[in-house]
Amino acid sequence: MKDISTIIIRLTLACILAGVVMGLTFIFTSNAKKHNEHVKEQKVMASLLGYSKNHPMPESMAMHEVYRYVITKDANLTVGYLVPLQEQGFTFITIDLDGRFLSATPVEIQPQLVIDENERQKAIATRLDLDPQFLRYADKTIIVTDQGRRQAYLLTGAFPGFKTFISVMLALDPSFTILGLEILEHEEDPGLGGEIVQDYFKNQFKGKPFTAIKRLEVTKTPLPDEYRQALEAEKSGISKKEITAIQEQYKDHDIYALTGATISSDAVTRGTKGIVRKFAYRIAILDQVIQGQNIAVPF
Amino acid sequence: MATDKSNMQLVVNGILNENPIFRLVLSMCPAVGISTTMMNGLMLGVAVLFVQVFSSVTIAIFKDYIHPRIRIPTYTLTIATWVTVIDLVLAAFLPEAYAKMGIFVKLIVAFAIITMRLEMFASKESVKASLWDGIGMGLGFMAGMMAIGFVRELLGMGTLMGYDILGFKPLLFFILPCAGFFVVGLMMAFFNYIEIAYKKAKQA
Amino acid sequence: MKKIMTRYTLTLLFLLVLPGLVWAQDLVTDKSFGADNEIIITFSQPVAPQAAVDSATYTVYEEPDPDIRLQIKEIILAEDEKGVSLIFSEPLNTTESHVVTIADLLPDEEPTTIIVTKSYLGYLIGILLSALLINNFVFTKYLGLCVFFGTSKRKDTAKGMGFTFTIVMVVSAIMSWFFYQYILTPFDLNFLQIVVFIGLVSLTVQAVDTILRKVNPALFNSFGVYLVLVIANCVIIAVPLILADNEYNFLETFMLSLGAGGGFLLALYLMSSVRERMDLANIPPTFKGVPIAFIVAGQFALAFLGFSGLQIF
Repeated sequence: MKDISTIIIRLTLACILAGVVMGLTFIFTSNAKKHNEHVKEQKVMASLLGYSKNHPMPESMAMHEVYRYVITKDANLTVGYLVPLQEQGFTFITIDLDGRFLSATPVEIQPQLVIDENERQKAIATRLDLDPQFLRYADKTIIVTDQGRRQAYLLTGAFPGFKTFISVMLALDPSFTILGLEILEHEEDPGLGGEIVQDYFKNQFKGKPFTAIKRLEVTKTPLPDEYRQALEAEKSGISKKEITAIQEQYKDHDIYALTGATISSDAVTRGTKGIVRKFAYRIAILDQVIQGQNIAVPF
Repeated sequence: MATDKSNMQLVVNGILNENPIFRLVLSMCPAVGISTTMMNGLMLGVAVLFVQVFSSVTIAIFKDYIHPRIRIPTYTLTIATWVTVIDLVLAAFLPEAYAKMGIFVKLIVAFAIITMRLEMFASKESVKASLWDGIGMGLGFMAGMMAIGFVRELLGMGTLMGYDILGFKPLLFFILPCAGFFVVGLMMAFFNYIEIAYKKAKQA
Repeated sequence: MKKIMTRYTLTLLFLLVLPGLVWAQDLVTDKSFGADNEIIITFSQPVAPQAAVDSATYTVYEEPDPDIRLQIKEIILAEDEKGVSLIFSEPLNTTESHVVTIADLLPDEEPTTIIVTKSYLGYLIGILLSALLINNFVFTKYLGLCVFFGTSKRKDTAKGMGFTFTIVMVVSAIMSWFFYQYILTPFDLNFLQIVVFIGLVSLTVQAVDTILRKVNPALFNSFGVYLVLVIANCVIIAVPLILADNEYNFLETFMLSLGAGGGFLLALYLMSSVRERMDLANIPPTFKGVPIAFIVAGQFALAFLGFSGLQIF
C-alpha cells in the first residue's frame, strides 16, 4: 500500500514538473512564433513585389488587408468583406451572391488585433449580432498602394497537389498580370514534384497577362535553354534587357511541365489559374459596391 | 564499469563503436526518410542531441527517486517533455528548417535509441558520465545522418550544405525518397567490408 | 469482439443508406459526377423538357465559393425525360462538393438544393487504400523501420507483430482522436500533443496486455511478446499526429488507423517472405544481415512508388 502511494505521489510530481517545463516553453515561444511567421510573410511579400533588403520598399507604399467571409444565415448565403477605412477603423460589407450590395457595418477593432483570426471573428460577430459559427473565414487579399494608387494585389491560396496541399502566394498588378509566384508550403517528392519551388518553374508564371492566364495549360515539350536562362537570372547572370525580351517572347506560352512531375506542374498551373480568375471576378464586384456606396477606402 | 571511461572515451564510443545508426541499427526512420541533404541531417541531429542530453541528465539527477515499477513511463514522460520543448523552439525560431523536417521532430519521442540509453546508462551512472554519454550518442546520430546526407546530396543534387560543388546533378535517383534504403544498405555494407578487411589484416 | 464488430458494421451501413431513404421522397433521386466536366441528375418523375434544358434553371457553385457560379455549357435531357446531365465549360474540381440549386422546374415547387459529392464510402475506402498502398507507412513514409527490420525475419513473427500492431493502432488512434477533439482543441492545449498521444499509446498497450492475459491466455502467449515492441514503433505516434493535422472525423480516423496497421502488416509479410528465401541464398559476407535487408526494402519502396498518384474513387 505504501508502495502505491509513493508511486502515485512521485508520478504526480513528475507530471507537474513536466507540465511546468512545457507550459513555460509554450508561453515563451508562442509570441516569438507569431512574430517570426509575420516577419517571414512580410519578406515573401516584399520579394514578390521585387523588393529586397538592399532595395527596400519606399515609405509611400502601404498594404491594406481585405478579409473575405462567407455568412450562412437561415439557409441564405452571403459574402462579407472586412475592409479598412481611410481614416481609421474597419467596415464590414456584405454582398449577396448576385453581387448586389446588402449592408455596411462599421467594426471597431484594434489594428494590431485584426491580424488575429479569432479576435477578428469575434469583433465582426458581435457587431452583426451573429453566432460566430455562421461566419466562415475564407481568405485574405492584400492591396498594395503607392500614395493612394493601387500598385499590386497579393493573394494567398491552397490547392491539392500530387501528394497533399500546395499553398502559394501570388502577386498581381492592377490588370491581373502575374508579378510573381511563391510556393509557401508543399509536400511533393524531393527531386520530382518538389522542383516546383525552383526558379525555372515558378518564374514561368511571372509576366503572364490575364488573357493568357485564363487559358493557361501545361505543355510537355522541354524547356528552351534561353528561356531557362532568363528564368534563372540570378544563376546565369544575363542582363535585364535580355530577360525582358525573352519574357516578352514567352509571355503567352503555356507552362513547361517539370520532367517527371507533370501532375504537380499541372496542379500548380490549374490552382494559380483558379485563384487569379476567382479574384478578378470578386474584386470587380467589390470595387463596384465600394464605389456605389461611396465607402472611403484607402485603396 | 563504464565509469572508468574518460569523458572523451564516452563521446568517441557514441560516435564509432556504438554509432546509433550504423552499429546499433536504431532510429532508422529519419536516416532513410529525411537524409536527402546534409543540412537536414545536421538539424535533426541537433534536435536529437538536445533531447538525448537533457533526458539523460534529467534521469541521472532523479534516478534515486524513480520507482523501479514506473521506470519506463517516467522515461517516456521525460523524453516527451524535452521533445515538446525542442519542437516548440524550432517551430518558433527556425520555421523553415522545421518545415523541412516535418513530423520527424515530434517522432523523436519514439526513437528507441534514447529510451535505450536512459535504461542502460543514465539510470545507473553519475550525472557527469550521463551528460558525456548523451553527447556521444547525439553526436553519433548526427554524424551518421550527415554521412548519409553527404552521399545523397552530393550524388543527387551535386551540392553540399546547399553550396554547388559539382555544378551538375550526377544521379537524380539518390534524392528520390526510396534511395534512402539503398544508401543506408550500401554504407553499412561498406563499413562491414572495412571491418572484415581490418580483422583479416590483424590476423595475418 | 466479433459481435461488437458486426453491430458496428450494421450501424455504419444503416447510416450510409439513411440519406438515400430520405432523398427518395424528393424530386431528385440521384446525383453524381459524370465525365470530368459533367454532373448527372436523375429525377423521380418526368420533367418539362423546356425548363429542364434552360440553363437559368440551375445554379451551380463549389461549396467554399458560393459567389462564383460555374458556367453551364450544355444541358442534355435523358430520353425518358427523367434526368439531365449538365455539361460545364471547365473541368470540375471533384474533390470539392458542388451545390446545385434547381428552381422553376416543376410548377409550384420550392427551389431544390442538392449537394453533389464523390461518394463518402468511396472516400473512406480511398483513405484506407491510400494508407495501405499509396502512402504505405513503411515503404513511402519511412516510419516504423526499427521494428520493421527487427521482426521481419520469419513469417510467423511478421504476422503476429502485424496483427498485434493493427489492433493497438486502431484502439489508440480512436482514443487519441477523442482526446484531441474534446480536450486538446477546446482548451487550447495542442502543445501537449506529443505527451498525450504517447501516454495514450502506452496506456493502450498496457490495457491490451492485461485484458489479453486474462481473457485469452493462449493468444497472449503467442502475441504478448510483440506488445512491448509496439510502443517503439514511430507509426503508432505518427498516425495521431497526422489525424490532428488533417482534422479527420471519427470514421476517417478509423479508416486511416486500419490502413496504417494493415499497411504495416502487409510490409512485414512481404519482407519476411523475401527474407526467408534469402537465408538460402549465397550473399556476400559484407552484405549479410541488415545491409541486404535494406537493399530489399529499397526495391520494395521503388515498387510502391508505382502506386503513387493512383486514384480509384
